[in-house]
Amino acid sequence: MKKAGINHDTLTGWLFLAPFLVSLSVFFLWAIMRTAWFSLTDYDLFRTPNFIGLENYARLVSDDLFLTALRNSISFATIVTAIQTVLALLLAVLVNSAARAKGLVRTVFYFPSIMSSAAMTLIFLWLFQRQGLMTSIAGNVANLRWIILSFFALVAVVQVVQVTLARRKYAEVSLFDPFFLILSAGVGAAGAVFIRINGWLPVYEEQFLISWLNTKEVFLFMPRTLWSVALMNIFTTVPTLMLLFLAGLQSIPSSLYDAAKMDGATSIQSFFSVTLPSLTPVTFAVVTLGLIGTLQMFDQVAILGAAAPLESRITLAYYTYYNTFPPGGSPNIGMASAAALTLGLLTLVIVFLQRQFGIKERIG
Amino acid sequence: MDTTERPLRPLNVLRRRQLAVLAWVYFVFIGLATVILGTFAIAFAASLKDNPLENPFRFIFPQITPSVWITAADLGRQGAADPWWGGFAPGGELVFSLTYAAPAGVDLVTPEVEVPRRKPGSGLAAAITTTFASDYALVELTGTSDRFFVNADMETGQETRWLARTFDYKISYEAQDDKGVRVERLPFTALAPRTQTLLEATLPVTRMERRGRVASWNNIAPGALGLILNSYRRVINETVDLSTGDRLIFKWMGNSFQIAVGRVVLMIVLSSLAGYALARLRFRGVRLVFVLVIFSMTVPVQVTFISNYLVVRDLGLLNSNWSVIMVMIASVHVLLMKQYFESFPREIEEAAMVGGANRFQIFLHIVLPNAKPALIINAIMAFQGAWNDFFWPFVLVTNPPSALAMPVGLLSLRESYGGGQGDWSLVLAGAFISIVPVLIMFVLFQNYIVNNQVSEGIK
Repeated sequence: MKKAGINHDTLTGWLFLAPFLVSLSVFFLWAIMRTAWFSLTDYDLFRTPNFIGLENYARLVSDDLFLTALRNSISFATIVTAIQTVLALLLAVLVNSAARAKGLVRTVFYFPSIMSSAAMTLIFLWLFQRQGLMTSIAGNVANLRWIILSFFALVAVVQVVQVTLARRKYAEVSLFDPFFLILSAGVGAAGAVFIRINGWLPVYEEQFLISWLNTKEVFLFMPRTLWSVALMNIFTTVPTLMLLFLAGLQSIPSSLYDAAKMDGATSIQSFFSVTLPSLTPVTFAVVTLGLIGTLQMFDQVAILGAAAPLESRITLAYYTYYNTFPPGGSPNIGMASAAALTLGLLTLVIVFLQRQFGIKERIG
Repeated sequence: MDTTERPLRPLNVLRRRQLAVLAWVYFVFIGLATVILGTFAIAFAASLKDNPLENPFRFIFPQITPSVWITAADLGRQGAADPWWGGFAPGGELVFSLTYAAPAGVDLVTPEVEVPRRKPGSGLAAAITTTFASDYALVELTGTSDRFFVNADMETGQETRWLARTFDYKISYEAQDDKGVRVERLPFTALAPRTQTLLEATLPVTRMERRGRVASWNNIAPGALGLILNSYRRVINETVDLSTGDRLIFKWMGNSFQIAVGRVVLMIVLSSLAGYALARLRFRGVRLVFVLVIFSMTVPVQVTFISNYLVVRDLGLLNSNWSVIMVMIASVHVLLMKQYFESFPREIEEAAMVGGANRFQIFLHIVLPNAKPALIINAIMAFQGAWNDFFWPFVLVTNPPSALAMPVGLLSLRESYGGGQGDWSLVLAGAFISIVPVLIMFVLFQNYIVNNQVSEGIK
């Protein structure tokens, strides 16, 4: 009776799975096998492929464009993931203390992630035009640098004076007390306007044209073009990641914080001794998600198109596409497949490392 | 405790510190919300402008000024009896005035005005425009009036007498043989020497040309919406398929919609069946399938796209929406459905099983109807993912222009209009039009989407 049930289940099980398995086998399993096979051939989408061994991989290693793509992909993934994880964590901790605003916060912060990468990239392309708004903002900051500096100097002076006076009464007024800071900012702004009107400090009238995108300049391991893309990526993903951290924060039992407080921990100490360790699983997930997502960055590169030189924007994902459909050349499926497998392997290594470390953390 | 030396009031101090922390939290939140929403708000405002790349960037411009809306509506009513979308139609007669000023003593010249034969833009529209307001417009000077005013120099404070002269024009529609057609816009230019400045005009000038000698208007009969949403109307009307005349934006939206709906349907079939099998049925190989599902979620699409491209090509489905629908791998959704079914109480199914129903009947009549919340969440995710998907449509559908999906269509918009000197208002307008469907969905299902994202966490 029981055995019959199992047999029955087996048949039904495979029948239920059949539609999904057909799709998975054709468009995933077979696709991977074919890519692996193509990477060992000289296939060009039209003629019958000939087996050429590991030659594609050897050519890949000596191809400057591939090395650039690899370097770009890895620096982009590392830099963006690092920045967005830290930012998302800090924001989540901050927002978590604003209990009342949470619903609104979620809506506002979720908003960028509903945009398509195409629409988002177009908006950023407009912002980063040579004579665009970003240039105009940077130009204004540069031209008004002395006024801006004087503003900050005034704010600092007024704040220090206020805090010093207040400390005569209450010993523990923070240097960054927000209520004093509002007043300091007001005085600073008024002072800066006063200085500007009287012309006490120089104001420059230089016209700026900044090539944010169409440039080959490299800044801190990464082309400036990709830094602009990184900014956009961070802008769109930080809010989503922040929501993940927020969920993690809300699952930390408050008794842990109470215990830390009893032991006399300051809020910064309890952040490092309670919050961070409890968030380790979420952090690993966020880092992994971030690395996988950024390693596969393709859309923005394709949409940038002719707006930036190829070597300043190319990533591994785009290199694969570029070799499959090279503009005006014959497809080089062998090298495209080899590069795609490299990208796949990189991703798998990251997932593997996460599993290893993630499990270790949970045990320890 | 060493509190005797200073007159501390501990409760006040504590309260103040709490408030200080709270204030900082709200500062940061408001700052961030400003950055996030502000970017979109500014980009949206710029999409309304005639030239989003204008330098310096104006935060107040005709398209968002209510008094100009009213003027634009008046002019639209005069031009084509349409206060909303304006235009220039038989029977149209507009009154348009220009005021030039110069220091007293300088000769004030009557400007040379005309309705130029101008195409609306540089792109595809240039090829399809066949009617021009200049063929029908008759411009007459109906009167002038003078007034003097005192102008104080900004630097020296010296006061000089200036003369301002207002020129009133009547622009009327002259149809030959009663065969006039409605023209969408009525451009206008006025040429005057640089010794006199254009002080004001019925409608704010679009731009100054030829070193400030020519004041140029794109449309002096815009109507209120024709003024505000000019770039949106243009991007819809001017990106057309040259062979069929179809409006590409609507075609692209239609394609994306088909792709999204197709993927949602396919996803529901695949993932509910597979999810149920993985959650409920114990049979050999179930673990292997599960590992495969996880594995397929981590492999980048670039690894599979060459083979998938070939499959689609061999089936003769390149450039069709079917190709984009069928290459979807539903693993994420299978996993989510599996999780949902696992939390579903077994007893109901077992009762039905005793009653003699088979697995498929149970699934169809008992399990699926109860899985509605999970199906809705998955459908929303799949719809949004398909609507925003760029890679597959980019690879599989490349021509004709009317076959593209929305995100790839946006790329083609950028290629035609988004150069250094390009028509960026059209590009931005296209981008904002493309997010309307997901925006509507976001508003409708906000609670579903936002809460799900948080509770589901990482797949």
